[in-house]
This record gives sequence, structure tokens and C-alpha cells, in this order.
Amino acid sequence: MALVGNIRDFGLSDFLYLVDRGYKTGCLHLSRGDEQAILFFEKGKLIYAARREGEQLGEMLIRQGKLTPEQLEQARQVQNGNTNGMTLTQIILSENMMSQEDLQQTLQTHTEESVYGLFGWPDGEFRFEQGQKPDLNEPVMPIPLPVENLIMEGVRRIDEWGRIKDRIPSTDMIVRFLDQPGAKAKGVKLSPEEWRVFARINGKDTLADIAQKTNLSEFDVCRIVYGFVTAGLVDVVKKPRPAPLTSSSRGAQPMEMPRIKKSLVSRIINRIRGM
Amino acid sequence: MQTVKMVISGAVNAGKTEFIRSISEIEVVSTERRASDDTKLIKKETTVAMDFGRIAVADDLVLHLFGTPGQKRFDFMWEILSEGMLGLVVLVDSTRPETFRETNRIIEFFTSYRDTAYVIAANKQDRPNAWSPDELRLALRQPPHVKVLPCVASERESVKNILLELLYVIMQRSED
Ligand SMILES: Nc1nc2c(ncn2[C@@H]2O[C@H](COP(=O)(O)OP(=O)(O)O)[C@@H](O)[C@H]2O)c(=O)[nH]1
Ligand SMILES: [Mg+2]
Repeated sequence: MALVGNIRDFGLSDFLYLVDRGYKTGCLHLSRGDEQAILFFEKGKLIYAARREGEQLGEMLIRQGKLTPEQLEQARQVQNGNTNGMTLTQIILSENMMSQEDLQQTLQTHTEESVYGLFGWPDGEFRFEQGQKPDLNEPVMPIPLPVENLIMEGVRRIDEWGRIKDRIPSTDMIVRFLDQPGAKAKGVKLSPEEWRVFARINGKDTLADIAQKTNLSEFDVCRIVYGFVTAGLVDVVKKPRPAPLTSSSRGAQPMEMPRIKKSLVSRIINRIRGM
Repeated sequence: MQTVKMVISGAVNAGKTEFIRSISEIEVVSTERRASDDTKLIKKETTVAMDFGRIAVADDLVLHLFGTPGQKRFDFMWEILSEGMLGLVVLVDSTRPETFRETNRIIEFFTSYRDTAYVIAANKQDRPNAWSPDELRLALRQPPHVKVLPCVASERESVKNILLELLYVIMQRSED
């Protein structure tokens, strides 16, 4: 079954997070007016992206002088003829038409550029077809791309508060690391400014504090932290509400939930079970 | 006679009325108008719309279910409704990602300043293209300990299951 929606409501970076954490395999189809894009993922990582539905990355390799038309033709024939499910990428590599490094670099650059442009879309329909795999006759990246870097790059392009406010409603919120960001953080490439913010995160300072300590604008700090949040590295929480100065009629801890007896709960459980 | 209450919240059209109707022993008192009428009436309407359901547990104990009015202008009601509640069900229309942000705001409202027992019901699982509970957990950024449960609000068994799962959460934090 497909996941459908509009990136106006559920942003591309949110989608990438879902794909990453959900370890998803499939194809994300995006369209906006007559613009289109397709992104293939395998186990949560990006393996192929094209900006038009019928765009051929094989032809792109020819345009870039990486393969001759004859080589591509030959590789495709071998691919068509083989019965053991070898991909075009595997054939290009096994026939020594390109080095793995060169193929990766060329496809990765193209892929990243394709995806970065998509972050500029204010809206656009998306449809994620679970399990859909790219055409075996198209070159996928030999090494799948983790999406955190794409998310961070997408966030670097945000220039207005709208999106950011969704996850960071105020600069008075505290930034803290998620339980185990370690493994995720390792692969993420940060700019020097992002590192400065990253290094200041301590679970106590608010965004405003961090802006002050790093000498960055509050907007920049919020944008950077928004990226960390979206990439699943940190989260932001409200400051604990200070104890009220005057004692209210509800006592010192007005927000405590009422204490409930187990016997009461189990009576309700039994009643509902019996319905 | 003791009464306890649970609050059923969620964006407009998430299925709150349906949910309460499926389990309540009384005809659901719903003063809420359909969303389509709503846009027409938005200026005129001044009454607070909400759903109310009731389950008698025993002669001396009643469970009340309150649906929150979905429209923003009734936010003030939420505070009143949530006072002393036993727990909260947050319904999400699993087929409409455009409501996920609003859902997050609702969760945030009910949980940021108090330790509310809650579960998320991934409603309308019977519809094609419903996002699965796992996908919703990621989309809503809910930590692993929060229950995100499949739900079809029009089916009583499904609604029972959601309420039971919420009660198990409440049970864990209750005292002997
Ligand atoms: N298919 C399906 N439709 C549902 C389900 N729950 C609610 N609906 C429908 O969704 C619409 C909105 O439900 P309603 O209970 O009025 O939503 P409310 O605005 O949250 O009170 C109505 O047409 C319901 O019949 C469900 O689980 N499955
Ligand atoms: Mg309703």
C-alpha cells in the first residue's frame, strides 16, 4: 500500500526521517505541476534519484563522458541476458567500465543535486510505493546514501520561520540529546557553525542561551537545531514550569495527575472486557 | 457515585464522535456539526460543540468519555476537560498526513505540563492507504514507550481494545 500526501503538510525531511528510521525499501514519487522526481530507497538509504520520471541515468553517464554509448549498450545487453539478477551497476563494475569510486562519485553528485533541489518545493504531491525497486537496467549507487546528510542539507536551505516553528515554537526551549544519538551523529557532516551549536547542547541551555553563547542569531540556532531534530539527533523540550509564587488553591503541584487506585482501574478494565 | 473520565481528542474528522458512539451506552450527545457545515457557520456558531459518552461500571462507578471540540477556537475547553482525567486517547486519521502536525500540537498540549497517560489510536485502518501504526509513530516522532495502536473507530471491538490498552498504561502508574 502506498503512503500518500503533500510535502506542504508532511515535509520532505520528515519523510526522509520516516524512511530512515522505518528502514524502508521503495520508491518516493514526487510531483509538482509538470515537475517530477523519483527517489528509490533500500533499507532506509537512498540508492537512486532522478528529477524526471523517465530520466535515464545511464545516458547521464554518457553525457558526462564516463561511458561510451557502446559500453552502455553492451552493459545493458549483458544485464538483459543475465538470469542471476545482476544490476547494471554490478555489470559496469565487473566489466571494469568504471571504477566503483568514479561511479559512486558521479551518481552521488547527481543524486544529491536532484534531491537538494526538491527541498525548495513549497508543496507537491508525494506517493511512496513500498517495495518498488529501480529498473535493473538503471545504474544505482554502489554505496547507498544515508539520509541524515540530505536532511541537514535540506534544512540549510530553509530561510523562513514557518517550518521551524512547527518543531521549535519558542527559543525558550531546552535542547537535549536523544538517548543514543552516537551512532547516527557519526556519519553526519556538519558545518563549523553547526558544530559550534552541536557542542553547546547540554540538556540545560535553551536555544536563546545557545545563541548568546555562540554569538549566532536566534534564527540560525533554531534552523540548525531544527536540522538536528529532523535528523533525529536531538529533541527540544519545554523548560520545566517554575513553581508558582503564590500557592494556588490546587496546591504546590497543580499539574500532578490524581493518584488512582489499582482496584478502581481493574474494575473498569473488567467492565470493558465484558462489553 | 464516583465518576471518572477519559478524554478522546484528535484533529477534526479523526473519528472522535464515531469512537465514542461505538462504545457508549447512551446515545452520544454530539452537538458538533459536520466540518463542511462548519465553514459556513463559523461566524454564527457560538455554542461549544462536543461529544459525550457514558459507560456504567457498577452501581457506584461511571466512566465518562469526552470528545474534545476539534476547532481551534475551543482550545480553552481542553484545559477544563483535561482536569482530573484518567487518561487520553489521541485519534489520528491515518489516511491524512496533513493532520499530523495538528495531532502533534494536541499531544503537546495535553502532555507538556502534566504526565498524562495516553495512547495514540491510528484510526481508519480499514481504509486503503492508511499509514500503519509504525509509520505513524515515526511521523509523529513518538518514543518507543508510547503505544500507537491500530484502530477502526466504527468497530466496537477495536474501540474496546484502545480503551483497554490505555487502562493498562493507567494501571501501571496507579497505586495499590
Ligand atoms: N472508514 C472509516 N471511517 C471512519 C472511521 N472512524 C471515523 N470514520 C468516518 O470519518 C468521518 C469523521 O468521523 P467523526 O467521528 O465525525 O470525526 P470527529 O470530527 O473526530 O468527531 C465520519 O464520516 C466517520 O464515519 C474508521 O475507523 N474507518
Ligand atoms: Mg465529531
